[in-house]
Amino acid sequence: MTGSLSAPRQGVPAGYRSIRTRRTSWLVHTRATWVALALMAALFAAAVASLTLGETTVAPTEVVKVMFGRPSPDELVVGTLRMPRLVVGLLAGAALGVAGALIQTVARNPLASPEIIGVTHGASALTVGAMTYGVTSYAALPYLSVTGGLLAAALVYLFAWRGGLHATRFVLIGIGISVALRSVTQLFLTKGDYLVAQQAKVWMTGSLNGRGWDQAGPLGIALLLLLPLVVWSARAQRSVTLDDDTATALGVHLGRNRLGLVFTGVVLASVATGAAGPIDFVALLSPQIARRLTRTAQIPLVSSALLGAFIVTLGDLLARKLFAPTELPVGVLTAAVGAPYLIWLIVRTSRSGRSASAGAKQ
Amino acid sequence: MSESPTSRLVARELTLAYDDHTVVADLDLDVPDGEVTVVVGPNACGKSTTLRALGRLLKPKRGSVLLDGTQLARIPTKRIAQSIGLLPQSPVAPEAITVADLVSRGRQPHQHWWQQWSEEDERAVTDAMERTDVTALGDRLVDELSGGQRQRVWIAMALAQDTDLLLLDEPTTYLDIAHQVEVLDLVRQLAVPTPGGGRGRTVVMVLHDLNQAARYADHLVAMKAGRIAAQGRPGDIVTAELVREVFGLASLVVPCPVTGDPLVVPDAPRITSPRKAATPS
Repeated sequence: MTGSLSAPRQGVPAGYRSIRTRRTSWLVHTRATWVALALMAALFAAAVASLTLGETTVAPTEVVKVMFGRPSPDELVVGTLRMPRLVVGLLAGAALGVAGALIQTVARNPLASPEIIGVTHGASALTVGAMTYGVTSYAALPYLSVTGGLLAAALVYLFAWRGGLHATRFVLIGIGISVALRSVTQLFLTKGDYLVAQQAKVWMTGSLNGRGWDQAGPLGIALLLLLPLVVWSARAQRSVTLDDDTATALGVHLGRNRLGLVFTGVVLASVATGAAGPIDFVALLSPQIARRLTRTAQIPLVSSALLGAFIVTLGDLLARKLFAPTELPVGVLTAAVGAPYLIWLIVRTSRSGRSASAGAKQ
Repeated sequence: MSESPTSRLVARELTLAYDDHTVVADLDLDVPDGEVTVVVGPNACGKSTTLRALGRLLKPKRGSVLLDGTQLARIPTKRIAQSIGLLPQSPVAPEAITVADLVSRGRQPHQHWWQQWSEEDERAVTDAMERTDVTALGDRLVDELSGGQRQRVWIAMALAQDTDLLLLDEPTTYLDIAHQVEVLDLVRQLAVPTPGGGRGRTVVMVLHDLNQAARYADHLVAMKAGRIAAQGRPGDIVTAELVREVFGLASLVVPCPVTGDPLVVPDAPRITSPRKAATPS
């Protein structure tokens, strides 16, 4: 990092900088700040590229004009067709990134994420079930999906709670319930009409195809309402990273904080799934990559959100262009990239032990 | 040392149980302010359980722990954390955390969302790291440290919490003898009144080694089967009688040649090494 490498700095912990005003004080992780800024730049580039490229290519200068609300001849293509799709992707990706970060923090397990602990499958089961029984309106489906996600999470929590939340039990029960719910979804698919099954399958892989302001608006409002919870989470998250006894001795309300964090994560994941379908691996990957980038002791929320948004945006762009004119659902692409990364992550961790974290020193 | 009759932290008719299994029964304990209290006893006598209850990690089945006369259960946990620090037996650090970052976590009970790194926080953390001699380790990862260094870092975190009372559960476990002495000297130092006339901290710790307990305790509490068998100044209570009663061990208690504190020497072993026995005197 920069100049202040000399003697161990007194006062402010290594890697942090303090910001003080008269009545407030903050501790900012230097590297995490730079990573977040870099991710913002990358995200902006990906967003511009996503609005530029398509069946017709629009000049980036025109895209930027539309983005900042200036008049442009390409307003229809960029503003009306591509923009809402981009916004849904950005918001859903960011929500999934944060959701994964929160759930992984509470479970103390990098494998815990909304799709593994049942949230996504709960959303799928209820949505596909509703589709099978004739509910196909895109106005109703997101709400069903949110309900499904919350119900599944509540079920997991209920079974996993035994006077306290044990991380391993939480993950294992989540996996069990996921499998059960996946069977339920399959049952609905076999039972239902062929065309409905087709439509359901596209939804189930997570697709941004045909998303308009109708989806982007409610998603944006839902996330805005959740923002205070996310801000609270950023601080609560720091307090649950220590072991139970130490945290309690430091005056942390462990039970309350964990419940709040899981709840926030589950709602975010359900809302994102409701709007964009279950986009696999984003919630699992973003926090882990973000943490490796920032090298913080806890999973960085802002960077996870930015990375989630970046992955979905880039994934959707590739999904559109790779096999053009055929459009792939973005979920297929994130899964294609995510699965190998996950395997690599597991192999690398088991082979090199702690070197992933020790390597951060150099 | 002058007698200090006051006790901020007391236990009254404290009964502790895991499920239906009672571990501690009707225990009354006054923790003398500004002194080092050491709790000893055989395995499973309830000493760690008692310490956990004193630090509200375990809810009493009956009876209560009182801080300044108020039941712990009635004080907000964050307020308790401003008065009582506790270091559990095997704390777990978050993965890939630096020493200074971990120590700074001790400031949590004094922070608010708008006040996350005050000058007071900075002073307390710097001070805690200096006292435990971990300042030079500040930017190292906790994972990379040796056992002794790591234990000092945890104590630094508990010190940064800046509480009048500090509870330590076997702070010397896993340490070699040199590091044990180092940690105990540090703890002893905490209870020494500050030059400004302020009273030293009140320390309660659980120890396994009876001789270390006798050497470092102002107030020794010997527990057996969930009850207090004896308590008082080590010189007054540590006798061969007590050792037999509490540990079931025949021993000789002699004054320590270094400090004069009672030194417990176990009785002659039933089987001596033939080589040693053969040594001509």
